[in-house]
Amino acid sequence: MPVWARALVSLAAVMFGLAVSAIILALAGVAPSSLVTEFGSTLADPESLKAVLSQSVPLILVGIAASVAFRARFWNLGLEGQMIMGGIAAAAISIHQVGAESIRIELMALAAMFAGIAWIALPMALKYLLRINEIIATLLLNYIAQYALYDLLFGAWKDPTDSFPHSGPFSAAERLPVIGDWLQSGLLVALLVVAATFWLLQISRAGFYLRFIYANATMAHRMGVPTGRIVAIAVLASGAIAGLAGFVIPSGIEGRLTQGYFEGYGFSGVLIAFLAQNNPLSASVVAILVAILFVVGQSLQIFYQIPFSMVQLIQAIIVMCVAGADFFVRHRLILQR
Amino acid sequence: MDNALALEMAGIRKNFGSFRALDDASLDVRWGEVHAILGENGAGKSSLMNVAAGLYSPDGGLLRINGQACDLTGPRDAMARSVGMIHQHFKLVKRFSAVQNVLLANPRGSYRQGLAEIGREINKHAKALGFDLDLHRPVGLLSVAEQQRVEIIKTLVAGARILILDEPTAVLTDEEGAKLLRTISDLAQRGAAIVLVTHKLRDVQTFADRVTVMRGGRTIATLNRGTSSDELATLAVGTKIVAPQRGDGKPGVERLIVRDLHDESSDQSRLRQVTFTVRSGEIYGIAGVGGNGQTELADILSGSRAPSSGHVEAVLPGGARVDLSSGNPRRRIDFGFAAVPADRQGQAIASSVSIVDNYAIAHVHTGRFGPWWRFKRAAAREATSVALRDADVQGVRSASQRVGLLSGGNAQKLVMAREFSRAPKIIIVHSPSRGLDVRACAAIHRRLLNAREEGVAVVLISEDLDEILSLSDRIGVMTAGRIVAEFDASGDRQAIGRAMVGHV
Repeated sequence: MPVWARALVSLAAVMFGLAVSAIILALAGVAPSSLVTEFGSTLADPESLKAVLSQSVPLILVGIAASVAFRARFWNLGLEGQMIMGGIAAAAISIHQVGAESIRIELMALAAMFAGIAWIALPMALKYLLRINEIIATLLLNYIAQYALYDLLFGAWKDPTDSFPHSGPFSAAERLPVIGDWLQSGLLVALLVVAATFWLLQISRAGFYLRFIYANATMAHRMGVPTGRIVAIAVLASGAIAGLAGFVIPSGIEGRLTQGYFEGYGFSGVLIAFLAQNNPLSASVVAILVAILFVVGQSLQIFYQIPFSMVQLIQAIIVMCVAGADFFVRHRLILQR
Repeated sequence: MDNALALEMAGIRKNFGSFRALDDASLDVRWGEVHAILGENGAGKSSLMNVAAGLYSPDGGLLRINGQACDLTGPRDAMARSVGMIHQHFKLVKRFSAVQNVLLANPRGSYRQGLAEIGREINKHAKALGFDLDLHRPVGLLSVAEQQRVEIIKTLVAGARILILDEPTAVLTDEEGAKLLRTISDLAQRGAAIVLVTHKLRDVQTFADRVTVMRGGRTIATLNRGTSSDELATLAVGTKIVAPQRGDGKPGVERLIVRDLHDESSDQSRLRQVTFTVRSGEIYGIAGVGGNGQTELADILSGSRAPSSGHVEAVLPGGARVDLSSGNPRRRIDFGFAAVPADRQGQAIASSVSIVDNYAIAHVHTGRFGPWWRFKRAAAREATSVALRDADVQGVRSASQRVGLLSGGNAQKLVMAREFSRAPKIIIVHSPSRGLDVRACAAIHRRLLNAREEGVAVVLISEDLDEILSLSDRIGVMTAGRIVAEFDASGDRQAIGRAMVGHV
């Protein structure tokens, strides 16, 4: 089936999924007309647009992190764990006042990336040395990271001023600035990552080799491709980008290390990668659409008492419809009497 | 039997989407005859037989079994009308014994009763045919020839009187093939109608009473016994194909030295003390029935696996020897090795990747297509189109299309073009023309002979004895993981055949 036809099928599937979601929301008490007004007002209102842009930064990052790992057939379900460790590392730099203030935020970003790399290195080693399934290893490490975070937030890093389980606020130098009135500098970070990933996957020799490793690893090995090295680059890059996502939320949005900043991003990251077919450029577009969904979901939560998990439900329905639409790509319908 | 024809097919049409598998194909088979269907790959022979066996439903045409027109609803319907088919890829459950497999296809009462009953029926048929079968071993452990006998018995127990055999001798040695065909003639003499689907002229000459030639989904002609091979071949292919001739060789210095290679990795085919040398400008053919260690040897020679012990040495121009015993494809490539594996889909190409990339991957690491930070696709595309033209690869609408869309023959030409573009000194080819039609086969053989003229040392591993005999300067016979005998080009076919089944 030609590419344009396939794109149309996917688009039709998304529309269908949205329609199904609209029905479910209607049953939950949100009239379709109100849905339309919500979407409309989100796109029209500058404050909401700022929220969308701000929300899309971590989503772009996890979407790309998932895509890069998936391109190496490494099913990285540990995005949340890597985000947590990224956030912890960045917060550690802040709390222990490492480095001069002028370079503090860069150090935090670097620390976050290294933490993400470290957290994915273990499941990667387990997979390639001991053949332990990375889906399970990365997933379980999420819980370990989560409890490490709670241990810190309820213990050594608890904010002394209000005794809530979050860290003290980051100083101004440790926060991602907003340029002008609306440009989140986090967005620039995300764009940089998109460009870097595009270069890695589409332009560099490593990306060329990775395509073969994905399509037929045996053949790649026989052709003399250094498969171990290339896969490691992809997987560690995935961990680094997820770690970075764990930095942009505390530093860019929340201003401190909190309990639940990572929740839902593992799921969203994987879905974005799937819908974007592991392509970094498409992933950023899909991430922005998901960000719109998030922001609309938040206002539904406030104004219509719809729980936020409804957003995840809508995401899941859309993914099921797109996956199911694959049937129409692979099969031809013939009407016979 | 009655005067009616056992099987009659006329004007059969079958399309798969826009692809015409059968276009006005016809066939008539008499009771008591062995009727061969001859044709190239893609001629439609298997498709036609799948229609007769109820596996495909035709888009048009007439099918009559024993004089009765029928519209088969499926394989069970065909079996009920005494049509039995023995496929090229056996439909056996490897873990089940022969009795269980036959019972699976012919359900009888309760399981225990069924086993006993089927056991008796199998013994009856086996005795009548002179088979000696171990009924209770898992069939996966039987030899290919024995598995085939289980398949035949399975259809006979089902009451088949019309037997269709699809490329039955493809997986057998000469001797086993001859035994099979004697069995078939026996069955025909007792009144059964046998259809033999094959592309081997020799089988047709020896055993068929009549032969129907198919090409491009059509029936071209039906001829009696005694037609010359040339005429049959020309009808099957449509034009005269001249097989490339092997001229006198000019073998030079030793290029590849293999000594005492041992490999314990797989149970079935261990390598034991494999030793041989190949000189430059020489084709060393390794003959043998599949499953005797050829794949393991090919893997070790190409570097994707390391042997348990032993040496693989390459002699570089200039005389220096390099020990390449540890498995590392990259090192092999750096020292002038190239390999064409038997499993093309699994090891030689990445089907979902474009033709350009599949060609370029051989050279990317040299920097010919750009530095590490930029892959220059334009340069790769240019190099690829030159290569495709030189190798006469057909079916390329765009070099960016997935390589999986190419036919087997064209994909193999691409693989050969890629491997030879490395200017190798040593090349290992494993079953290079398996599954290819005569035209593609001739092109592959021509390429190998050219390489020989250019001084490349070629190791040719093949189960096709004709191919080995027409191309090789020296022949090694591999049985049970060892080279049991070596012959010169003039080797006696019978002697080689005997060595292949272990009687040296």
